[in-house]
Amino acid sequence: MITVALPKGRLLNDFMDYLEKQGLEQYSTVLDAKSRSLYTIVNDVKFIYAKGRDVPIYVENGSADIGIIGLDIITENEFDIMNVSRLPFGECHFSICGLPGVERFQTIATTFKNIAFQYFKEKRQQVSLIHLNGSVELAPLLGLADGIVDIVETGNTLRANGLIEYEKIMDVHARLIANRQTFYTKEDKIYPFLKEIGVFD
Amino acid sequence: MSNQELLKRMSLGYQYTKLMADQGYKLIDLNMIEPFRIEDKKFQPSSIVFERDERMYAIRSDWTRSLLNFNEAYFLEDRLFCYYGPVIRNYRSFYQAGVELYQPSTDEIVNSIKLHLDFIKKQAEQQNRVLRSLVANNDYLIDLYLEKYDLNNEIRFLIYDKNLSELKEKLGADHPLYKLLSTRVSQQFNLIQQEFSDDARMKLINQIKNIAEQDQIKFMLDLSFRSPQSYYNGLYFQVFLNYDTPLLSGGEYNDGAFGIALNLEDGGLV
Repeated sequence: MITVALPKGRLLNDFMDYLEKQGLEQYSTVLDAKSRSLYTIVNDVKFIYAKGRDVPIYVENGSADIGIIGLDIITENEFDIMNVSRLPFGECHFSICGLPGVERFQTIATTFKNIAFQYFKEKRQQVSLIHLNGSVELAPLLGLADGIVDIVETGNTLRANGLIEYEKIMDVHARLIANRQTFYTKEDKIYPFLKEIGVFD
Repeated sequence: MSNQELLKRMSLGYQYTKLMADQGYKLIDLNMIEPFRIEDKKFQPSSIVFERDERMYAIRSDWTRSLLNFNEAYFLEDRLFCYYGPVIRNYRSFYQAGVELYQPSTDEIVNSIKLHLDFIKKQAEQQNRVLRSLVANNDYLIDLYLEKYDLNNEIRFLIYDKNLSELKEKLGADHPLYKLLSTRVSQQFNLIQQEFSDDARMKLINQIKNIAEQDQIKFMLDLSFRSPQSYYNGLYFQVFLNYDTPLLSGGEYNDGAFGIALNLEDGGLV
């Protein structure tokens, strides 16, 4: 059996849609984003539902053989994993956002401190970074920061709160990752599965 | 650990060191507190470093590195060493056993690998288990591909990551390197052999494949396969009894040294 770690939330819904488009109803119909169950088994594949940030940890430690995750998570933190393939869903991007009229950002609030640090370092721009665990759009509204670095999907949340995008930092998409050991020791099961879901031609 | 597990580990350590001593390896033990040089931190990032009497010291975190430093500091009569003892990484202690060969011939490397495979195969059979696979690579093979197809170093890092989608985008689906890396890892050996069979590194890998298959161990060669230890810079291999932790890890390092470590913790035998 192989174990596939899936992130709960939007990416899981996107993955289910993707499986459905691939004609893989045997998987898409049994995965349930709203289920309180922690895993689902289909034939020789065990799907576990995890918090997005934990998916690469499960994969790195071999608790899961394969994982589906956004590029943002594995760019923000380093993991000893195989970063096997881009998947055709989960597209969004990182941007610097803030209230209109900011001439120079001095304080940035973000959940992705490493990505923000790297970006401003490359621009040789001195800023203070504040780490928040979520709802970072609040920070400029409350005066905690004059800008945020965050993922933008539709831009609706920004617009609803009077914020604008200043600059795009990087594109984000879904990735398929794999454990560095079981990719070999479970080759007989992993390759057919990756081929079945369309990762390999 | 239970009494049984502790005794099993001690027994395994004894049988292993006895076998190596019988085969001409010099058994060695070293002080766990060793002089520390700043360049060691690059190779042993998890070492605990401290100061005493205005000198820096580290607690042994890797036998290979400790022995290499020892070998460089003194004139030693022996070239083949075997060790057994604890190391500490990031506040966690565990036992390591293994061998280090300085300036070995190809035959000595092959014989050492064979000796280790026979040992762990016998141990696994006593537990009614079979060795799962041997995975190997040599970073130099990537150099051969980059040179042959005039590719830049960015491709090397995509290979390290096994980033197949980006390799496909940059090289094209018909490129031999993309075709190789997207092939099942157990089939990659034949493709690499077709291109570089005359290369000395491939000849050594071929020998390792043969001795693995003599012991009914599935052999795999993959350009993306790498050691978590950055000092390995040539041949590198791991042998698996469990699915996700190697029982044996070994390879070439420091231009002329070769070592193999036996995992006495979670490799599957204890």
